[in-house]
Amino acid sequence: MAKKTLGGMAAIFLEESKVVAAARKVRESGFTKFDAISPYPIHGMEEACGIKRSWIPYVTFIAGVVGLLSALALTYYTSVVDWPINIAGKPFFSLPAFIPIIFELTVLFAALSSVVALFVVTKMPRIDPPVIDKDLTSHKFAIFIPETDTGYSEDRISKLFNELGANEIKKVSEY
Amino acid sequence: MASNNHSHELKLTKFEAPQGLKTASFAFMFIGLITFVLGFAKNPERLWTSYLTAFFYFASIAAGAMFFIALNYAAKAGWSASIRRFAEAMTSFIPVMLVSSFVLILGFKYLYVWADASKLPLLTGGKSLYLAPWFVTIRFVFFGIGLLVFRHLIVGNSIKQDVTGAHELTHKNTAYSVGFIAFFAIFFTMFSFDLLMSLLPTWYSTIFGIYCFGGAIQATFAVLAIMIVWLKNSKWISGYVTEEHQHDIGKFLKGFTVFWAYIAFSQFMLIWYANIPEETEYYIMRSLNGWMSVSFALLIFRFIVPFLVLLPRSAKRSDSILVSTSILVLVMHYVDIYWMVYPNFFDGVPQFSFWEIGIFIGFLGLFLMTMIKFFTKNNMVAINDPRLQEALNHHVTY
Repeated sequence: MAKKTLGGMAAIFLEESKVVAAARKVRESGFTKFDAISPYPIHGMEEACGIKRSWIPYVTFIAGVVGLLSALALTYYTSVVDWPINIAGKPFFSLPAFIPIIFELTVLFAALSSVVALFVVTKMPRIDPPVIDKDLTSHKFAIFIPETDTGYSEDRISKLFNELGANEIKKVSEY
Repeated sequence: MASNNHSHELKLTKFEAPQGLKTASFAFMFIGLITFVLGFAKNPERLWTSYLTAFFYFASIAAGAMFFIALNYAAKAGWSASIRRFAEAMTSFIPVMLVSSFVLILGFKYLYVWADASKLPLLTGGKSLYLAPWFVTIRFVFFGIGLLVFRHLIVGNSIKQDVTGAHELTHKNTAYSVGFIAFFAIFFTMFSFDLLMSLLPTWYSTIFGIYCFGGAIQATFAVLAIMIVWLKNSKWISGYVTEEHQHDIGKFLKGFTVFWAYIAFSQFMLIWYANIPEETEYYIMRSLNGWMSVSFALLIFRFIVPFLVLLPRSAKRSDSILVSTSILVLVMHYVDIYWMVYPNFFDGVPQFSFWEIGIFIGFLGLFLMTMIKFFTKNNMVAINDPRLQEALNHHVTY
């Protein structure tokens, strides 16, 4: 896999409330591809960054429905078509007996697909992104604007970052 | 430090019950009283079956509200601090419940085989001791008194905190709540065994208590959801109760919808599969004489419909969808208890008329009245709760 290189500007903040306000301001200034980096999830950050709802729940739902139908098909095929066995005189297709299997396969499909979807969404196998600032995993927060973003201009961005009260502004050559 | 993204204007004024609601609750109580007196004189069997159903309905909701409060204290939950008072209002029915328990004892001989001293020895396997009327009565009264004591401790502390603001009250409540949950687990199980399962004393199901618990908590969350939507948009409260709290109660409602179905199915499936005569009689009674449609109605309207309706995030945040689903759940909670009680009587043929409606409405009037009194006397939000700030900043991520 060819390594993507992407430069940009990053502002480092020391306070959570500032980075949320900054994210909102940056979005309002017209940037769309920027990212906020924090050591832990921040309530309200999704709205501030303008992140839309994830589509993973839809994957979960559809996979759940597929799981349900496959379990129905599996139990029907094995107990009615392929190898019918008379158990205590109950009908070959006894739904109550199959519900645990249907339930389990629904959950299994839904759960595994959600994990796969999560890997896709977060581009998970990539575990070595360049380090903007190593303290971003412990007590600092950052806003990163890539150079491909609309209206990218170093002067404009550093001015914006300064207005937002950034403690430090970094030019990142590779991200 | 949580950033304050939700800037609400906080406002809390004294609750004044709308005149219509007050009149309605008095009228309801009056209708209930008339039905009771009429039934007592004319049709005692019908009176006591409908009384048991309505009594269990409201008792389970009041007890469920206690459980919700205890759950939040025990888990040290912060998000619910601003809506806890609503559940506390629901527990104000508990003193009335204790009084109605004593009334129900009068009806034991119409309802239960074991109340007849000559038939009691026919029950085998230690049941003649367990179901001896004095023993049942002790357990039954003990449940009511226990609820009252725990309510006095937990809700009492919560109200005291409004004035003093002492943090120790919250810590004390955590300990009481853990105690309450243990008490509740044991005695609610016995409560449902004694009142509902022993209507057919030859039948038993060890999961029965959990089944009743699941239904009760589902109904409790339905009441809470309706209260939240109503009060969120009311003139007395603003800022303390938000869409975020509504969303989480909606999630709980959906969660316990699934839980109820899970337990109901677990009970049914094992009995259906093993096919032992002494166990299957319960379901056979509920598949004959038109009861089959009631059984299916439970499956569809107590589980499938609320579950599918409440799946999307937007449904839980929509006032009209959440309230209508809650009303459906509350109706089905009645149908569920009715379905447990009535097949044992009247030759197994469903009976439903003004007897059931009148007694139910009477209890509803009492329930509303106790809540109105509670809200008139106390703040509608636990204003000095140490976790209130967390509740105000509560935010459901997506």
